[in-house]
Amino acid sequence: MNNEYAISVNNVGKTYRSRDGQENTVLKGLDFHVKPGQFVSIVGQSGSGKTTLLKTISGLQEPTEGEILVKGRPIRDGIEDIAMVFQGPVLLPWRNNIDNVLLPLEFRGTRTDESRRYAQELLEMVGLGSKAKHYSYELSGGMQQRVAICRALVSHPELLLMDEPFGALDAMTRDSMNFEIQRIWQTTGCSVLFVTHSISEAVWLGDRVVVVGDRPGRIVADIAIDFPRPRGKEHRFSAAFSDYTTEIESHIGVVTGIS
Amino acid sequence: MATPEVREVSSDGPRQSPPGTALGEQAAPQPKRFSRDSIAAGAKAVAGIIGLFVVWQLLVTIIAPPEYLFVGPVAAFAELIDRPEYFASNTFVTLQEALAGFALGTALGVLCGAALHYSQTVRSFLYPALIAIDTIPKVALAPLFIVWFGFGFESKAFVAMAIAFFPLVINTYDGLSSVPHELQELARINKASPWKKMTKIDFIYAIPSIFSGAKISISLAVGGAVVGEFIAGSKGLGYVILLANSQVDLPSMFAAFMVLAAIALALFFIVDFAGRKLVPWKNHAK
Repeated sequence: MNNEYAISVNNVGKTYRSRDGQENTVLKGLDFHVKPGQFVSIVGQSGSGKTTLLKTISGLQEPTEGEILVKGRPIRDGIEDIAMVFQGPVLLPWRNNIDNVLLPLEFRGTRTDESRRYAQELLEMVGLGSKAKHYSYELSGGMQQRVAICRALVSHPELLLMDEPFGALDAMTRDSMNFEIQRIWQTTGCSVLFVTHSISEAVWLGDRVVVVGDRPGRIVADIAIDFPRPRGKEHRFSAAFSDYTTEIESHIGVVTGIS
Repeated sequence: MATPEVREVSSDGPRQSPPGTALGEQAAPQPKRFSRDSIAAGAKAVAGIIGLFVVWQLLVTIIAPPEYLFVGPVAAFAELIDRPEYFASNTFVTLQEALAGFALGTALGVLCGAALHYSQTVRSFLYPALIAIDTIPKVALAPLFIVWFGFGFESKAFVAMAIAFFPLVINTYDGLSSVPHELQELARINKASPWKKMTKIDFIYAIPSIFSGAKISISLAVGGAVVGEFIAGSKGLGYVILLANSQVDLPSMFAAFMVLAAIALALFFIVDFAGRKLVPWKNHAK
C-alpha cells in the first residue's frame, strides 16, 4: 500500500453476530479511496450502514473483513489526525465555547499556550469570534454546530468525518452551513467524508458522491461531481445539477426497488 | 488545566470576562439572586408551614385531647423554650451522626456507583447482590451495627450510612450511564485517558444525578441516626423521644419531632443549594 490516498477502504465488511447466533451483515465489500484534500459525500437510505462506515474509518469500530488504511497505515496503529462531527453538537454545558473547542487537545494532552489563540481563530473563521466566552445555551442550533466543527478542527485533522452534521438544522440554516463548510474545507485543506440524507447537499458539496445501498451496505455508485470551486448558488439551479441528483436518486431507487 | 471548570453562573451580577479577552462580547443577563418569584415562593412555603401549625393548634384547642395523648405546637414550642440546652445538645448529637453517616454513605455510594459503571465484572457480580441487600430493611440492620460498633457514636453513624448509601449508588450509576455516546466517542477518537474522560466529562455530567440521590439520602440519614438511637442510645433526639415515651411526656416528644423535621428540611435545602451552585448549567437546560 502507498501513501497516495488519505483513506483506503479495502474490501471492508462488518457483520454483527447476535447472541442467538444470527448474523447481520451491515457492510459488505466496500472498496473506495479518498485522495488527500478530497471532499467525498456519502448518501444512502437510513439503515444502510453509513454511520457504521464512518465509525469503522474513525477506529471506533473494527471491520470484520478487509482493512482500512489512513495514509497507508492501518487504523489500529493509532492515528492522530482524524476528527469527527456528529449529528448534534453535543457541547459540554459547563464549558464556554472556546473551552469546548479546546476539549480534544486536553484529551490528547497537547494543549499549549498557543492553542487558545488557534481556537479563537477558528471561532472567528465561523463567525463566532465574539461568542468565545458564551455558553452553548446562549447560541442557536446552527451556531452550536459551528462550535462543534471548530472543536473538530482544533487538532488540525487531515481527515474530517461528518455524520449528518446538518441533519438537525432547519433548511435555511442548513444552506448557509453548506456554504460555511465549503469555505472551511477550502481553508483547511483537509479531506472530508460527509454522510448526509440530502442528495442536493451531497452533490453541491462533494467532489464525489458515493451512493451506499442497503442490506447489506455496499457501494452502488461513485459519481464524480464536475463543478468548479468555490461553488455558488447558481450551481444548485443548473441543469447539470439536477442531472446529478436524478442519477443519484435512480441509484438509491433501484436499490430499494422503487425505481 | 486538569481541573474541570465548573463555573458559578448564578453568582450575583453579570459574568466578568477575564482581562485580555476584550472582544466586545456581552455577558448574558443573569437572574438576580432573589427574584420576585423566588421571594413569593418562599413566602408561600412559610405561610404553608405557619398554616399547618395554626390548624394543628386549633384542632388541639377545639378537641382538647388529654395531654398524654396529643399536644399542640404551642406546648411543643414551650417545651423547646423551657429546656433549650437539653434539646440543643441532643440535636447536635443526632446532627453529627447523620452528617457522618451521610458523608460516608455518599463517598461509598459514589465509589460503588462508579465501579458498577466502569467495570463490567463488578456489574455482573455485584449488581444483583447489591439489589438483594437493598431489599433488607436497613432498620433491621441496626442491631447488628450495635454489635459491631458498640453503643456510641459509630453505630448510629453506620446505620445512617447504610440507609444513605443506596440512593447514591443508583444515582451515580445512572448519571454516569447517561453521558451521551457522542461524547464517549469524542473521547475515544482523541485517545483520552480513562482518568481524563472521567474528570472532564463523566463525573461532571453525573453531578446533577448524584445530587438528586444526595437530596434523598440526607433526609434518610437523619432517620437512620434516630433509629440507631432508639436501639442503643443515651443521647440524641431518638433518645429524647424514647425517654419522653417512658415518661409519657408528649410535649417533649413533639418538640423532638419538630426539631427533626426542621433539621431534615434545613439539610435538604443545603444539599439542594450546593447542587444548584455546582450545576449552574442545569438551569438553562432545554
